[in-house]
Amino acid sequence: MAISEQGKELRPGLWETVNERYPGSMITKTDLVPLAKLSKPLCEARLAFVSTAGVQPKGTLPFDTVHPVGDYSFRRVPSASKPADLEIHQLKYPTFGAKRDLNVIFPIERLRDLVTEKFIGSLTENFFSFIGYNMDPERLERNLAEEIAAAVEAENPDVALLAPA
Amino acid sequence: MFLPFMMGHHFGVPFHKELQKKIIRAALSRITDATESGDIYLFPMTWAQARREGKELESERGS
Repeated sequence: MAISEQGKELRPGLWETVNERYPGSMITKTDLVPLAKLSKPLCEARLAFVSTAGVQPKGTLPFDTVHPVGDYSFRRVPSASKPADLEIHQLKYPTFGAKRDLNVIFPIERLRDLVTEKFIGSLTENFFSFIGYNMDPERLERNLAEEIAAAVEAENPDVALLAPA
Repeated sequence: MFLPFMMGHHFGVPFHKELQKKIIRAALSRITDATESGDIYLFPMTWAQARREGKELESERGS
């Protein structure tokens, strides 16, 4: 069900309000990527997951959650990871649910379940995570988004699921 | 796909496996159901409903 016109805000006027408080933080995209069709059934497709949840394997360099303009790096998260092997470095969303069950924000076990159920064909070896608090959208698009896109492409997925936190 | 859920809970509530999978399935259904780039789909469930179901599940689990 489409509930808005193409490229329009779900809540008109909200972005202007955010921009008054954080100048330049919200951008409007008018050159949307053309809708792509999956070349094979989902039950045969390899899926990559990309998240802004700040989830990372324990022992990897923590995201810089206190930098005033954000952290523009990303982490690879092996899709075979156990939740106990992962941790969250992110201050900008409530984690009380994720601390009890990581799947509420990074559904790594549910995606594996859906492979077992043959709803999805397979998963890429790695998923990807970064933090959503990045106050320079141009830098985000120019650097981080490009780097993640290249890293995702290298995993040869057929489809990518992107989720905010 | 837009979910009217609390930040940090875009795949539902703790231990509600069926809801978590339902959300993923709904998101991936956009691959075939979306008619144009930029479509927004509203997931048909409120945060209150999700929390209620989560509490019932946890009550059944005895936690």
